[in-house]
Parts: sequence; structure tokens; C-alpha cells
Amino acid sequence: MSFAEFVDGPFWYFSAIVFAVGSLWRLIGMLTMGRHSDYSVPRASGTSGAVATNIRRFFPRREFWSRIKLQVVAGYLFHVGLFALLFFAAPHVEFYREKVLGFGWPAMPEWAFVVTSELAFFGLLLLILHRLISPVTRRISARGDYIGSILIFVVMLTGCLALARSYEPLRVLHFFLAELLLIYFPFSTLIHTFTFPFSRGFSGAHYGRRGVSV
Amino acid sequence: MAVDMNVFRGFGEQIRNLPNRARPTDCPDGERVARAKAVFAAKLDATKATHLESCIHCGLCAEACQFYLQTEDPELTPIHKLDLLKRYYRREKAPLRFFHRLFEADITEADLEATQYLVYESCTECGRCGLACPMGIDIASMVNVTRQGLAEAGLIPAGLRAVEQEQGEHGTVFGVGPEQLCTAVEELRARGYEVPVDKERADILVLTSTIDVLLFNDALEATVKVMNHLGVDWTLHTCAFEGANFGLLSGYEKVQKSASERITHQAIALGAKLVIVPECGHAYPAMRWEGANEHGGPLPFEVMAISEFLGREIQAGRLKVEPIGRDKHVTYHDPCKVGRHGGVFAEPRAVLAALDVDLDEMPSNRATNFCCGGGAGLFVMEGAEPMRNAAFDLKREQVEATRAQTVVTACGSCRVNLLAGAVRTDWDRGIESLVELVGNNLKNPSPSP
Repeated sequence: MSFAEFVDGPFWYFSAIVFAVGSLWRLIGMLTMGRHSDYSVPRASGTSGAVATNIRRFFPRREFWSRIKLQVVAGYLFHVGLFALLFFAAPHVEFYREKVLGFGWPAMPEWAFVVTSELAFFGLLLLILHRLISPVTRRISARGDYIGSILIFVVMLTGCLALARSYEPLRVLHFFLAELLLIYFPFSTLIHTFTFPFSRGFSGAHYGRRGVSV
Repeated sequence: MAVDMNVFRGFGEQIRNLPNRARPTDCPDGERVARAKAVFAAKLDATKATHLESCIHCGLCAEACQFYLQTEDPELTPIHKLDLLKRYYRREKAPLRFFHRLFEADITEADLEATQYLVYESCTECGRCGLACPMGIDIASMVNVTRQGLAEAGLIPAGLRAVEQEQGEHGTVFGVGPEQLCTAVEELRARGYEVPVDKERADILVLTSTIDVLLFNDALEATVKVMNHLGVDWTLHTCAFEGANFGLLSGYEKVQKSASERITHQAIALGAKLVIVPECGHAYPAMRWEGANEHGGPLPFEVMAISEFLGREIQAGRLKVEPIGRDKHVTYHDPCKVGRHGGVFAEPRAVLAALDVDLDEMPSNRATNFCCGGGAGLFVMEGAEPMRNAAFDLKREQVEATRAQTVVTACGSCRVNLLAGAVRTDWDRGIESLVELVGNNLKNPSPSP
């Protein structure tokens, strides 16, 4: 079995299973820990608060904006760009159609891919630089934060190179690195991809029943 | 009525002497870690687990924290204060604990001791950090859980421990018990006020606080004026008058429960429909939000902060006040535990609108208001003075960005901290209580001296 066959076959299945089982294990584990009863009389609806906070947290508060705008803008560039690349880059759509779902959807044109990937790279580099430079993020960052950032960076880099050069070894390398990222995902802070609606929702419900919009 | 500065200085002296009054803790060395872990195990539920799982270490919480903003010390980053709890969670409770144990060291007594400063002296649990978190992590509530663990491990700072021990053992705070309350009541009666005490039945149980009895008698007097003006069936009670809850502040839940249950049982015995919490920030969540949970079921009465009660009575047209006039320029300081943690924003502003004063809001107000710096017991912690001062300096900048000459608030410990800062920096702005403003401007007031 060649390395390409290994990456396209057993290692792909292994990484997909680790990703799915690991992520579900972590999500189900944390959400089934039970919750303490709250007997206080609510001032307003907790459910509305949970929904509102989920939406509100996409938009930073005016009072904080001047101090956090770099991270917010970089974060949006990276996350929106990554989302677009992941689900609308032509090779990815083709991959989902062939190997995962059995159907596809319209992909973005190549010029949009180039613009999106440049913006996503720019955002990610800013975030990595901020993590390395800011005394606060340097203090609170763990080894895993750097590993996650570097893995995403090299996956994106090899993906762009593979598309630009149409060179098979680059595609295999990109795929291999993406599989490493899938394996790493459930053990890292990347799990926030799935936990953020619950995390925002719990706070929104807690403060919402007290009549506070957070 | 102006605050008697000699009494204020005496109060400050009492606070400075608190560490000398604290008894050693009853937690033997070697048991601290086990005790803290038992609390963490009981308190970590799905909500807190989700929050601990969701942090991306972005550090935005620091940009909302008054103490970080003033010192730029990364050690004060709010989420960093949860490292101890997070380590416990990852090793003992997390779904991937078998994996984390390969990399995370177990917590030690030295870790507990190192966390003390982070969760006591340098955090008022004000909750502002949580507003900046893109994941919506409620850091303040987990700082409180960490305090509960440290409290059980005997690591409450001495000043706070002294007051918690006093309230736990004697039910008094700063030596104020039924006798001192009765003395304050007799002084009010001597000045012509009717003050009901220890009625057998009453619709409303009014609480007060040590700070009001010892220092801010004006707030107690104004409360009496308002209740009599409304003509409602109310009482103070010598068995349950103290709103302050140093169990909640210290994290020692046994004392928190005994203090709130004392009030709950008395209110039930009176047949009260309403318990009014005085101008004491944390006393509000202690009864309004946590009282039922400590009781183990819904409370058969309503709980309101005095500022909330005043606003509602004014909005309902039952409480009438004389307009003061627009040439009184004020700003309103929302006590964190009443506002951001309690949802009481509109009512105090309705009061100020009825008084027709010129309200100029600070740049950060309502939910994003900056803490006074003395909350969560910092005003009785000897090691917290630099933090209190830093917070006051920031608050001062906020006030000076308005045209206000007076800061109005509805919390005794906010008043203490703001007043201490004003004295320290020779600041010329006034600091007034909301209930005092109302009490002094009642329309057709009831008979008074």
C-alpha cells in the first residue's frame, strides 16, 4: 500500500472515526453532568435569554470595541474564510460528493477561492501573532493552542498549494495533515466549534431569567 | 444627612483590625486539597463543564476587567483565575479525563494558596469579564465556586474570615446584633419616627445592614420614612434584620445558608408577602436568587432590593416625590450584584426621573458598569487595598466623563469604597444613596422631626 493509498483509505477512515466519536464523547459527557435546580422565581424567560445571547455574542459590545477590534476583525476574517473554504472550495465540494455525502452543491469560483483564502490566512496570522505577542494570551495559552494554530495553518497552506499547482503529492500531504487535524480536534480547544452555542446559551439563560441581557 | 466622617474613619479602623480578630481555621494541613476537591465535585455541573470546555484562550476577558485595565498585569486575566478549577475538572470530571491525566499534574496545597489572591483580593466577581467572552463563559460564577473550595479548605483571607466567623457563630456583623439595632431604632423614635419592630404579623419584612446601622443611618432613616409614607404593614425584626451575608462573600456555604434561612424562616413566621433588601449589593442575590436554593424550594414571598421597590412604587403611582430639579447633576452607579447580576436597571432610573434630576450616564453603565472595587468582600480584605484604589481611579475617570457632581448608588459597600476613594484623592464629587434622596424628597411626608 502506497502512502497515498494509506492516506486516502484506512487513515481517512480512522481520523474520521476519532473525530466523530471523540467529539461526541466530549459533548455528550459535558452536557449530561446534570444541572443544579434553581428555585428562584425568574424575572424573564431563560430560553429567550439563551437564544438572544447566542446571537448577541456575534457582535462585541461598544464599550469593549476599542480594545478588542484587532482580535474581532482577525477572528471574523479567519472563521468566515475557513468556513467558506471548507464548504465551498471546489475540491472540497467534490470530496463531500464523492466520499462523504453522495451529493454536492455549487462551489465558489477560483477568484473567490483566492480572495477567501488570502483573507483567512491574514486573519489566522494576525491571531497567531497576537497570541505570541500579547502578554495576556502568552500567559493563558497552552501548548495545545499553538499546535492547533500551526496544524490549521499548514492544512490551509498545503490546500492552497495543491489547488494552485495541481500536484498529486501536495494533495496527499494536504489530506494527511487534514486527517491529523481531525484526530487532534476532539482533544483540543478546537472543540469550541461545537460547544459555543451551548456555552453562550447557558449564560444567556442564567442571566436572561434574571432580566439581564448578556 | 452627611456621613459623620469620624464614624467613617472609625469604621475604617475596625476594618483594618479585622485580621487580628480572625481565628485560625479549623482545617488541618493535609486535608485542604481533599476538602476543596469535594466542593468542586459538588458544584461542577453541565453548565460549568460546558464553560470550562469552551475557553479558546483569547484573553478578551482581560479587556473587560477593571483590575487588568488598571494594572495591565496578565496574572489578573479573569480566565487565568480559573486555572485551579480547570485543572481539577480536567483530571477528575472531564469526559476526556483519562487523557488529561497524562499531562495535568494534580492540584496541591501550594496551588490552593497561590489561587487565594486571584479569587479573593483581586476579583470582585463583578461579572463584567463574562460580557466580553465570545464563548459566553460566566467566569464570575466559577470564581465563586473556587472561593467555595478555598473556604472549605480554610483559606479565606483573614479580614473576611473574621467577619464570616462572627456571623456564623453569633449571627452578628461588626458586633451589630439586636441590641445595636434597637439602639438605632430608639434614636429614630426619639426623633419622632414610628418604627415597627418585632411585630407578630406583617406584610413586609424590611432588612437593614450593619453598614446602615453603624455608618449610613441616613439610609435606614430614609427607608423608615418611605415605608411610613406608603402606609404599608411593615416591620423590622430583631431575629432577622441583617441583609449582609458574609457566607456568600467568603464562599463558606454553611454560613451563607444559615444567614439566608434565618431571614426566610422569619418572613414565613410573619406571613410576609415581601422581603425588602437594603442598599447592600450582595444581600440582593443572597436572598433574591440564592435564598430559594438555600431553602431547597420556592420562597412563599417576593424579594426586592430597596431600589427596585422604590422604582416600582413610583411607577405604580403610590410613592410620590417632590422634584429636586435639573440643576442637580447626577450619575448612577449600578451596584454589580443588583444590576449586572440582578437585572435592576430600570427601577432606580425611574426614581431619578421622578426626582427630575439631571441624570448623565457614565460611558460604561447598566450591564457594563464598572464595579466600585469593593464588592465581593474586597472592602474588608487587607490585601485588596491596591485593587480597590485602582478600581476607584477608573470609576473616577468614568464619573468625570459626565457632568455629574454627585454619584448616586444603592449599595452600602459601594458607598464605602467610593467614599474612601474620594477621601484618599480629595475628590470633590458627592456620593449619595438613592433611598436617602427619596426619603428627603417625599411629597407630603409623614410626620418627622
